[in-house]
Amino acid sequence: MVRIRRTYEALALGLFLFFLMITDLRYLKGWPVSLFLEATPLVAVATALTTHTIYRNLVWGLVVIAVTMMLGRVWCNWMCPFGILHHIFGFIGNRRNTKQLIEVNRYKKIYAIKYYILAAMLVMASLWMIPTALDAPGKVIAAYNGSELTQTGVRRVFAALGAGFGEAAEAHKGNGNSTLQIGLLDPIALTVRSLTTSVLPTVHKATEGVYTEPREYWQAWVVGLIFMGFLVANWWIPRFFCRAICPLGALLGLFSRFSLWRIDRDPVRCTDCDLCLKSCEGASDPHKDLRKSECFVCLNCIEECPHDALSFRFLPRKASEITYPAVGRRELLLAGLFGGVFFPMVRLSGGVRKNYQKSVIRPPGSVAEDEFLRRCIKCDECIRVCPTNVLQPALFEGGLEGLWTPIMISKMGWCELNCTLCSQVCPTGAIREISIAEKLGVGPFETKGPIKTGTAFYNRGRCLPWAMDVSCVVCEEVCPVSPKAIFTRNVEVTTRWGELLELKRPFIDADRCIGCGICEHECPVKDDPAVYVTAQGETRSKERSLLLSLVEDPDASSWVSV
Amino acid sequence: MSEKLTRTQIKNLERLGGVNPADEGYSRRQFLTQVGVTGAVVGGAVGAGLLVRDQWGMEGVKPPPPVRLKDYSVERPASSPSLIVVHSTPPQIDAALGRDAELAAREEQAFRMVKAALDAMGGVEKFITKRDVVVIKPNVAFDKNPDLAATTQPDTVAAVVKLCFGAGARKVIVADNPINNPESCFYKTKVGEAAVRAGAELMLPKDSYFEQLYVGGETITGTWRMFYRPFREATKVIGVSPVKDHNLCKATVTLKNWYGLLGNPRNQFHQDIHGIISDFALMMKPTFVIADARRMLMRNGPTGGSLNDVKRGDTMVVGTDHIAVDSYCVQNKDLLDRNRHDIIYLDRAIARGLGRDWRPQWTQEITV
Repeated sequence: MVRIRRTYEALALGLFLFFLMITDLRYLKGWPVSLFLEATPLVAVATALTTHTIYRNLVWGLVVIAVTMMLGRVWCNWMCPFGILHHIFGFIGNRRNTKQLIEVNRYKKIYAIKYYILAAMLVMASLWMIPTALDAPGKVIAAYNGSELTQTGVRRVFAALGAGFGEAAEAHKGNGNSTLQIGLLDPIALTVRSLTTSVLPTVHKATEGVYTEPREYWQAWVVGLIFMGFLVANWWIPRFFCRAICPLGALLGLFSRFSLWRIDRDPVRCTDCDLCLKSCEGASDPHKDLRKSECFVCLNCIEECPHDALSFRFLPRKASEITYPAVGRRELLLAGLFGGVFFPMVRLSGGVRKNYQKSVIRPPGSVAEDEFLRRCIKCDECIRVCPTNVLQPALFEGGLEGLWTPIMISKMGWCELNCTLCSQVCPTGAIREISIAEKLGVGPFETKGPIKTGTAFYNRGRCLPWAMDVSCVVCEEVCPVSPKAIFTRNVEVTTRWGELLELKRPFIDADRCIGCGICEHECPVKDDPAVYVTAQGETRSKERSLLLSLVEDPDASSWVSV
Repeated sequence: MSEKLTRTQIKNLERLGGVNPADEGYSRRQFLTQVGVTGAVVGGAVGAGLLVRDQWGMEGVKPPPPVRLKDYSVERPASSPSLIVVHSTPPQIDAALGRDAELAAREEQAFRMVKAALDAMGGVEKFITKRDVVVIKPNVAFDKNPDLAATTQPDTVAAVVKLCFGAGARKVIVADNPINNPESCFYKTKVGEAAVRAGAELMLPKDSYFEQLYVGGETITGTWRMFYRPFREATKVIGVSPVKDHNLCKATVTLKNWYGLLGNPRNQFHQDIHGIISDFALMMKPTFVIADARRMLMRNGPTGGSLNDVKRGDTMVVGTDHIAVDSYCVQNKDLLDRNRHDIIYLDRAIARGLGRDWRPQWTQEITV
C-alpha cells in the first residue's frame, strides 16, 4: 500500500510541477493548468461564503470534500503537492533513531492551531452575516405583508423567511462586509505563489531555462523565505505546516469525521510497542484511539506494525476513535473574535475605498476592488502566466488585505494588448475570463468600449520634449491602440543658444487610453518615468471613472463573456 | 629526562612502553612533503593574487570586447538590375472556402512574388550558396495580427526560408528583438510558426544573446548592445520588412528594420532618430532586402491596430541596397506616397555616402 501511495505522491507532485511549468504562453495549449488551485476545497468553501456562489471549476473542491467524507484526509498525503514536499523535506532532514521518531510523532496540543487559523479566516469571510441577521427580520415581515408571495398560512411564513433572509444576505455580502484571506495559508495557493514569484526566477538565474527574459518580482524574497521556512521546519517537527498551520487540513479534518473508512487498532493483537508512531505522518496517535481528524491516511502505521494489529477498515467501532478535533472552545471563540474584529480594523484603515492607492492597478477583467478582495486567493497564477512580467505581487499597496494580490507595475512590464491569459487562468473569477474582443471593446462590445485598467499622465517636469528641448515621443510610438491615445503637438522653440527647434510634445487622450502602461515601460526616463499610469479611470468600477463621456450604467447582460 | 614525573605521568610512560612518542623527531620525507606543500600553497596563493591584481580598479569598468558585423553583400555583375518591383494581381479568394484557403492563396502569392524577383536578379543561387547560414530579420516588433500590417507577413518569411533551403543553405535563423514580449510577438504575428514550419530556427532574444557591437557611426559613435548571437555563424543576412508609417521618422521600411537588432536602452535613439537610422546603413551590409508592400500601414504607425489604417498594395520591392529600396517605397504613388525629402534619414545616409538614392534605370518592374 505504501508503495502505491508513493506512486500517487510522485504523480501528484509531478503533475503539479508540470502544470506550473506550462503556465506559459509558449506551452499553454488548453491544459487545465489551474486544476490544483481549483481542487482545494478551502477555496470552494471560503469563496462560497464571500460570494454566495461557486465559481466555475471550483466544484472540484466539492469532489475532494466528498472523497474526504469517505476515506478521510487522503488529500494531505496523496494529492497535496505542498504536503508531498513536506514529506520529502522531512525525509531529508531526518536524523532520529526509532525511539526519537516515536516521540516526535506523538500528538501535541499545538496541532490544534490550524483550527483556530481556519476559524479566524472563515469568520472574516462571513462577517456579512451580522448585518444580514440585523436586517433580515424587517425584510421577512415586509415579505410576509407584501404582495410578492402567493402562499398562505404557515407556508407563507416559511416563504417569507426564505425570501427575507435571501434578500438581506444578497444586500449585505458586498460593501466591505467580508474578505477572503485563506489564500495566505492555503497550501496550493501558497505553493503556486512561492514557486512563481521566488523559486522559478531563482531557477532561471542558474539555468536560463524557464523564461526568455529574466523575471523579477517585487519583494518576492518575503514569499520565498516563508516558503523555505515552512519546508525547513520539517527538520524539527515533521510535517509542521500540515499538522499545525494548514487551514485546508483543518477543514478536511472537520469533514473527515464522517469518513467511512479509517485506521483501526486491534486491541488484542496490539502489544503497545508504539512502533506504529515511528513513521506516522499526521501525528494521529494510531497506537491508541485514533484521532480521526489528524490522520493523513498515509498507511505507514499498517506497514510498521509487527503484529498486524492495524488495518484500514470500513466502519470500525465508534468507541475506538476520537471523532472530533481537540479544539478548546475558549480558544476557538478567541480566534473567531479576532477574525471578526481584525478584518474591520484592516478595512477601515484605508487603502480600499477612500484612500485607495494609485499603484493598485488591477489586470484587465478584474472585478471591482471590494469584490476582488472577496475572490482573490493570492495564488499568483496570473502572475505566473503573464508574458511581460508586469503583474507583480502587491505588498501593502492595496492595504493589508491585498497582500500578494496582483497589481501591474509598469516599470516591470506592460499589459500586452492582445492578451487575456491572466483572466483565463484565474481559478476564482477575481479576474473574470474575458475575450480579446471584450478587452479591446470591438465586435459585440463596441458600445461598451475597451476595458481600461487606468490612465496615463505626463510629468512634464521630466519629459524630454517638455522639459529639456530634446525630441523623443517613444510613448507615442509604442501606444498600441488605434487611433493612438498619445498624440503630439508641434511647437517651435528657441533653444538657449538661439536656434529654432521644432519639437513634438506628447499629450494623452484619456478617452482612448486603456492604461496598459507600455508608454511608462518604454519611457527613457527610467527611474521615475515622465509618463506613468495610475488606477484612475479604470472601468471595473464606476466610482473610479474619470471622464464623464465614458461613464455608463453597467448593463447586466453585457457581463457575459463571449 | 631530567624533570621529575608525577605518578600519573609515570603510569602513562609505562603504558606507552617506556618511550615518549612526543619526543620523536620528523622524517626527511615528512619534512619535504609538509614544508613543500605549504610552500607551494602559499606561493601559489601569492602568485595568483599578483596575477589578478588590479592596481587602479580599471578591471571593474572595462567594457567587454566588441564584436563587428561582416559585410554580407555579394558581388554582382553591374548589368543585372539591383532593384526589382514585383506586382501581382490580388489572390483570387473564394470567401466560401474560408480562412484557410485565403491564407493558402496568400502564401502561394508571396512565394511566387519573392521567387520572381530573385529570378529577375539572376536567381536565388546568385545570393545563397551551398552551406550558407542565413539570418532572416523580419520586423515582428508588436504582437499584432499580420492583417494589421504592423509586422512582416509570415508567408513572405516562409517563402524566403524555403528559397534559401532550395539554394542549399545549411541553416536559416529567423531572429528579432521585438518591442513587445518576444513570445507573444512571434506567436501572434504568426511569423514564428511560419518560420518553424518552413524549417528555419527561431531565435528569441535571451539576455545572454546580446553582445557589444562596434558601429563607429554618427549616433552610435562607439559600441552598442546588440542581439549578436544569430550573426555569430551567419554568412548571409536578409531583411524582410513591412512598409509602414512611423510617428517620428515618417516611414519604416528595410533600413529602420535593423533597429530591431539593438538592445536597450535603445529608446534613447528617438532623440536622434534620423541619425541612428542612417547609421544602420553603415552597420549592416545585407545580402538583399525585401520590402513587402502587399499590405501597408498608412496611419497610426508603427503600431497600427485597425484595419482602417491598412492599404493593399500587392507589391514587393526586392533589392540589394536598402537605401534605394526604402527610397522607392516611400515616394512611389502606389506605396507610401510620401515626400521623399521628408524622410530625413535617407538624405542623411546618402549624404554620408552609405548608399545611393533610387534611380529608375536600376529598376525592373515585373508582374506575376
